[in-house]
Formats: sequence, structure tokens, C-alpha cells
Amino acid sequence: MRNITLEIGNGEFFTLLGPSGCGKTTLLRMIAGFTELDAGEIRIGDKRIDILPPHRRNIGMVFQNYAIFPNLTVGGNIAYGLKARKVGNAEITTRVADALALVRLQGYGERWPHQLSGGQLQRVAIARALVIRPEVLLLDEPLSNLDARLRVDMRAEIRELQQRLNITTVYVTHDQEEALAVSRRIAVMQAGRIEQLDTPEIIYRKPTSLFVAQFMGTTNVLTGVVERRTSGPARVRIGPVEVEVANLDACEGETVSVCIRPEALQIVGGGQAAPAGMARIEATIGRVEFIGALSRLDVELAGGMALKVAVLDDMAAFAKPGGSIVLAYDPARVTVFRRGAS
Amino acid sequence: MRALTIAPLARLPVAMGVAAFLFLGLFLLYPLWGVLSASVLTPDGTALTFGNYGRILSRSFYRASVANTLMIGALATITTTLIAVPLAFAIARLDIPGKLLLIGLAALPLVLPSFVGAYALLLLFGRAGVVTQFLNSWGVPFGSIYGVPGIVAVYTLTLYPYVLLPTVAALKAIDISVEEAAQSLGSSPARTFRTITLPIVIPSVLSGALLVLIETLENFGVPAVLAEDMPILSVETYKLFIGETAANPSAAGVLGVLLIVLTASVLVIQRRYLASRRFATGARVAPPVIRTGTGWRVVATTYSWAVVLLALVPFFAIVVLSFMEFRGPVLHAAFSLKNYVELFASAQRPLANTLLFATLAAGAAAFIGVPVGWIVVRTRSVWTGLLDVTATLPFAVAGTILAIGLVIAFNAGGLVLTGGWLIMVLAYTVRKLPFTVRASSAILHQIDPSLEEASISLGVSPLRTLLRLIVPLMLGGIVSGMVLTWVTVASELSSTVVLYSGPWRTLTIVMFQALEGTGAGVAVAAASLLIAITLVPVLAAYRLLRRYELSML
Repeated sequence: MRNITLEIGNGEFFTLLGPSGCGKTTLLRMIAGFTELDAGEIRIGDKRIDILPPHRRNIGMVFQNYAIFPNLTVGGNIAYGLKARKVGNAEITTRVADALALVRLQGYGERWPHQLSGGQLQRVAIARALVIRPEVLLLDEPLSNLDARLRVDMRAEIRELQQRLNITTVYVTHDQEEALAVSRRIAVMQAGRIEQLDTPEIIYRKPTSLFVAQFMGTTNVLTGVVERRTSGPARVRIGPVEVEVANLDACEGETVSVCIRPEALQIVGGGQAAPAGMARIEATIGRVEFIGALSRLDVELAGGMALKVAVLDDMAAFAKPGGSIVLAYDPARVTVFRRGAS
Repeated sequence: MRALTIAPLARLPVAMGVAAFLFLGLFLLYPLWGVLSASVLTPDGTALTFGNYGRILSRSFYRASVANTLMIGALATITTTLIAVPLAFAIARLDIPGKLLLIGLAALPLVLPSFVGAYALLLLFGRAGVVTQFLNSWGVPFGSIYGVPGIVAVYTLTLYPYVLLPTVAALKAIDISVEEAAQSLGSSPARTFRTITLPIVIPSVLSGALLVLIETLENFGVPAVLAEDMPILSVETYKLFIGETAANPSAAGVLGVLLIVLTASVLVIQRRYLASRRFATGARVAPPVIRTGTGWRVVATTYSWAVVLLALVPFFAIVVLSFMEFRGPVLHAAFSLKNYVELFASAQRPLANTLLFATLAAGAAAFIGVPVGWIVVRTRSVWTGLLDVTATLPFAVAGTILAIGLVIAFNAGGLVLTGGWLIMVLAYTVRKLPFTVRASSAILHQIDPSLEEASISLGVSPLRTLLRLIVPLMLGGIVSGMVLTWVTVASELSSTVVLYSGPWRTLTIVMFQALEGTGAGVAVAAASLLIAITLVPVLAAYRLLRRYELSML
């Protein structure tokens, strides 16, 4: 890991996102103090913390497997950090009760961890981290051990709690949907570097590298050559097909990667014109996969390039395997990456 | 500057690791170095020479001791494996009545003192043995069990759990779906066993078998009782050391080095080769019991119970015989408490010593072994690996040799320990250290490291986290390691026989001396007392031991 410079705002919900092994957890553990820095500094406000041992950093951490102490009750777990801070007994009692209420576990103080479900253990872990009034809250893939539905509920709850307490939060996940849903800003990491750091919308719509484009959900990646620009919009030729591009940072004749997300392609119904400002493209339908609210289409462009298209249920009626189809797209949603640049 | 600072989180393991290395260096490596240097110095200790090796090895008596030791070890390893593998299969996969009790009884020979078993065999089948005399009185000729047959029999009956337990564990860990896959591909049950099941468990079998080999190579008590005139390496080393009058025990040093080289090479093979060859099949549930016909069921049940009970018969016999009357070495079929009266008249101090030493050694082994276990599991570095190897080394060092080394090292100079009790407790602590290290690391593997990190990040220092959070969580493992240490120290003979002095005799020494003299009655009573002393704590802590010690073999 090298050349990482980050500034996280007060009360910000900040996410480190990337595939496993990208360094996101290492970075989080550096903040917590469990991984040593070879060089560089970490500060909270004006206070330099990387020289402090981890137990003096006053950082709340929620671990991937919760790390609930099995030999202590729920209340004992939450009181643990307060006792280490020599907080008086009366205050411990009220603060533990408050923390339990905060995570909606009133009355669970006497229970033992093995009597709790995964979601409840998760709440205990959060309460235990928050009760010490940390300056920063760190969450290391906190939802990865929960089932899909609970994961969606919990992430909303964590986000809501963070907003209410206005606590600076660093969240680590490999799940791009989770990251998009909760974060104010996201740092997409790969191989120990930050690939892109921005708000969820910009990261999704305007990825600055092919890696980010492909990591943030499904995308079509096509290889093309930049056309000579005479008039009108810039164009990239993909076999016999020409694609319009709004923003182009490449020389003519250069081979580039062209990305367009499946949902940025729309079916244009029988004989209609493309909506204003949209370009059009013709294709042959290969396979149609109905998955409820959406249908996924595999289509083929002239010249054999395959494209994935995602269309809303009501437009899927036009899609018949083997038929030909007209697709419309906004040139602004086509991103072009120079080869070798990423 | 940066290279000299130690990261905050590494300070505790580094400090404890340095302390552990100091202890092991002073009381394990330095004594072993003493044995090695004794073997390459002239008898007066002034000049370097390799002549000692030539001198010893040129004598056929000592060459025979090496050959005998290896031959008996190999034989016992084979018989043990042949007995234990079918038993393991029966326990793991067949429907046998009383299986839980059977497993419990099968583990007992591991903690019962093997030389007591040897002595029992002698009382039953020796020249004046109960069974021998009974057979002879009916005119049935019965040969001698002294030497190879007796020693191999005792080893087989006391060491078979070393193969049995890991094999049962491996058989239970097999994911049944691999066997089902083989059968759905057209393989018969017998072929499946031969081509799938057996190859998967073989590494566990061999690993246990090599532990048996190490035990036989370094055992002192069994050959001391049963070998008679047959030279055995561990016994001859002891005799040479006791008999040597020169300043430097060069002859004993040579045999000691040979024995260490043998056991250490087996340990290296066991650790390095087999550890990496274990197949992790990761079954969530143990394979179901195989349904067999009544015939097979009877065969399996009879075999299993016969092996397990046969191994316990000698110990049972000792206890029964201890309540009979001995006149000199001759047994009379009359109930009597005379043996115990005689024992307690003379052996109160040794009994107190035994209990005291066992308690001190168990405490010391935990005090050193738990931190070592924690370091070995929680930190990764060259030093950690070295610490792990050093702490396992006592397994491969015969008690006799370690004791000789301690005598050489602390007989003179700045730190004189010989003749006192401390040197004995140190020897026991070092010898049994692998038990507490292994028990601690076994349970630490089940405690997620994030618990420690959570505690530290909540503001509790690493040392307090270890003491207040992790040690309580490890308690089951620590107690089981201490019980095993206590029990095996109470019945320890091989290093005691070298190190004891007048007031610090133990119960094992009382028994050993009674064996050599004529006091068979005292020996039997002492042996029974040893059985009771080892059995009671083991039965009390049986659940813990099964969970943390026996499962780690």
C-alpha cells in the first residue's frame, strides 16, 4: 500500500470499497492500530494517532464476525470499554441502557451472546463500539455474515444511526450496492491504491478507469477505434457499428475501450424515433432472461459484438429471441477509456 | 532508529517470547549442549575428541543396544498400528454397544504409567508370575516374557491410543459424500474403503505411529523392568552415567546423543512431512454408522472390548495383587493390607514429594506454556516458528538424557542445582511443557483473534486483555494441560531416577527401588497408589482432556 492520502470530513460516512486483497481492510486496521505503518501519518483532527497504541486511540470498531466476548453477557460486552475507562458504576448502568436502546435491544442486557441471532449480535457490536463515544467509528464488512434481506435492513439502520449521532464513520465493504446505498463518499481501491474517490453517483456514472467501471455493477466493455472527427459528435467505430460519445479524451485512430451500462440502453418500440438527444443502434436479440421487474437481454451488434441490455418489464414485450431491435442511448452515458491508461 | 522500535502491539509477545527462550535455552538447550559436548570431550574433559564415539561403537554390546532399541521400536509401532486401526474403524463407523465408555477406557493407557504395566506383566507372566506358576503347575510349558516379547506387548497395550485417537478423529472427519461419490461411480464398499477412505486417514495413522515410535525409543521404565540382560539405549545410557567416575561423562554422552538423534529425526519426520499431508475434508457431521449383519457386529464388538479391556487388565491385576500377602517376592493368596501398611511406614515423605512436585511442575508448565501457546498461535515470524520447535523438542528428548544434561549443566559453576528439589521440578516442567503449549494453542485456534482486537480497541491494554479476557476463555484448555502435566509428572521415572537425592525420593523411586530389591509387596502397593493418583484427576477432568488434549494427538 502506498501513496494513499485521504481526508474524511467530520460526521462523514466514508466507504472503502474494493475486491478482496485490495488493501481496504489493511487501511482500516491501520486506522484502528492493528497494522503498522511503514511510513506516513494518520490524524484525527489535529491529533496524530498512528504513534498511539490501539487501546489509546478511542476509536470504535465493529468487526466482521462481531467479536462478541462469549464469556460476558450483552450488558457486560457493552460495559467492557467503559470499565476500561474507569467510568463509575452508576454511569455505566445508564450508558449501557442508553446504548441498548440506541440499537433497539432494550432489556437484552442480561442475555448471553449465544442466545442472540446474527442480527442482534451485530447490534450489540455496534452498541459496544458506540458506547465509548469514539471519535471515529470503523466498520469492517459488518453485514457480510447476515442473510440478504437482513443485510438490506441493517445497512439502512446503520446509516440512520450514523446520521443521528453525526459520527465520522469509515466503512469497509466489497459489495458495491451496499457502498452506493450508505456512503456520502466512496474510495474504490485496487492493489493497494485508490482508483477513484467521489460520491456514489459520480463513481457509478462517471468511472475514471475501466476497473472502476467494471467493479461498480455490470457493464458492457467493447473495443473500438476512434473515428476521424469531421463534424457533429465524436464517434468510435466498433466493427461495422459506430457509437456516439459525448466526452472523448483520445486521439483519432487510437484503439479504446468503450463502456456502456446495460440499463443505459433502451428499446425503441416498433418504428418510433429515438428520444431527443439519444443516439440509436441496431442489434439482433440472442437470449431473453426474465427476472421479474427487469428483463435481461443478450443482443448482438452487426459484426458480432455482444451487448447486455437491461430493460423494464413493460418494454420487454418487444424482445423476441432472434428478432431485430433498435436500442437508444444517451451518448453522455458512454465512457471511453484509453488502452494502457488504466 | 525505526528498526529498533518495537510496535506497541508486538511488545507483549516479544517480551514473553524472550522470557520463554531464556527459560528453554537455560534448562533445555544448554543441558542438551552439555550432553553433546560431553560426548566430544576426553573423559577428563580437557581435549576435543571423536574417540568416544569410536570407543563406544566398537563394542558390540552398545551397537546391540542401538539395534535392539530400533528393532523393539519398529515392532511395537507395527503391532500398535495393526491393533489400533481396525479398532478405530469399529469405533468410528460401526455400531458397537457401550461406545462412549469404550472410547473413555481406550484413552486411559495414555496416562497410566507404562512401567507399572510392565511390572504387572512381570508379576503375571514373569518367572515367579501368577499365571506362569499356574500354567506350570498344570504342566503347561510357558516360556519367558522377558526381553522383546514382553517389552513389545507392554508398548502395544499402553501406546495403542496414540494411533487409535487420531485415526478415529480422521475417520469421523471424512466427508461421507466422497465415499458416496465413489460408490455412485461404481466402486464397491470394499474398494471404496481401500481406494478412498484408507488413503485419507493414512497420514493420521502414520502420525500417531511415529509418536509411538518416539515413545518407545525414549522410554526408560519398561525396559528397566523387562529387558533383563538385553541392552537398551535409554537404560544403558543411565547405567553408564551412574557408573562413570571420570570428570566428563563421555560414554553416557555418546549414547545420549545417539538417542536424541534417533528421536529427533522421527519427530522431524512426524512434524514436517505428515503435518502437511493431512487431508482436510471438512465434514460438518460425522459419517453415519455402517449397518452390518449380526455376525460382523459380534466380531467387531468382541474385538473392540477385548483390546480395550486387555490393555487395562495389568493395571487391574496390580490393584488386586496389592491387597494380597507377599513373603519376599512370593505371593500368597490371602487378603492383606500389609503392603500398604509397609508402604506408608516408609514412604510418606516420597508421597508428599510426588504430590508437591506434580503440583509445582503443573503450575510452572502452565505459567510458561500458556504464553508460549499464545505467541505461537497469534504471531507469525521466524522466531515464532523457532519457539514452536523448541517448545516441542522435549517430546523428542528422553527424560534420562535431559536429566543427565541438567546434571552436567548445573553440577558446578555459577548455578548449582544438583541434589535439590528444584532441578527435578525444572526437569518435569521442561519435559511436560508440550502438553500445556499444545492445549493452549488448541483452544486459542478456536478463539477468534478479533476478540483480542475488539478488547484492545475498546481501550484495554494488550497485557490486561490477555489476562482478563483471553486466559478465562482458555481456561478449559489450560486446566486440561495442567491435569495431564500433573498426572504424568506424578508417575515420571526416567528423569527422576537420574536426578533424585535422599530426601527428595518420589513414589516412582520407592517402587523402582522395591523392584530391584526384594520388596515386591511395597512395589505393588506403590504401583497401585500411582494408578490411583493418575486416575482420579484424569477421571475428574475427563471431559476437558478429551476436548483439548486427546483431540490434538
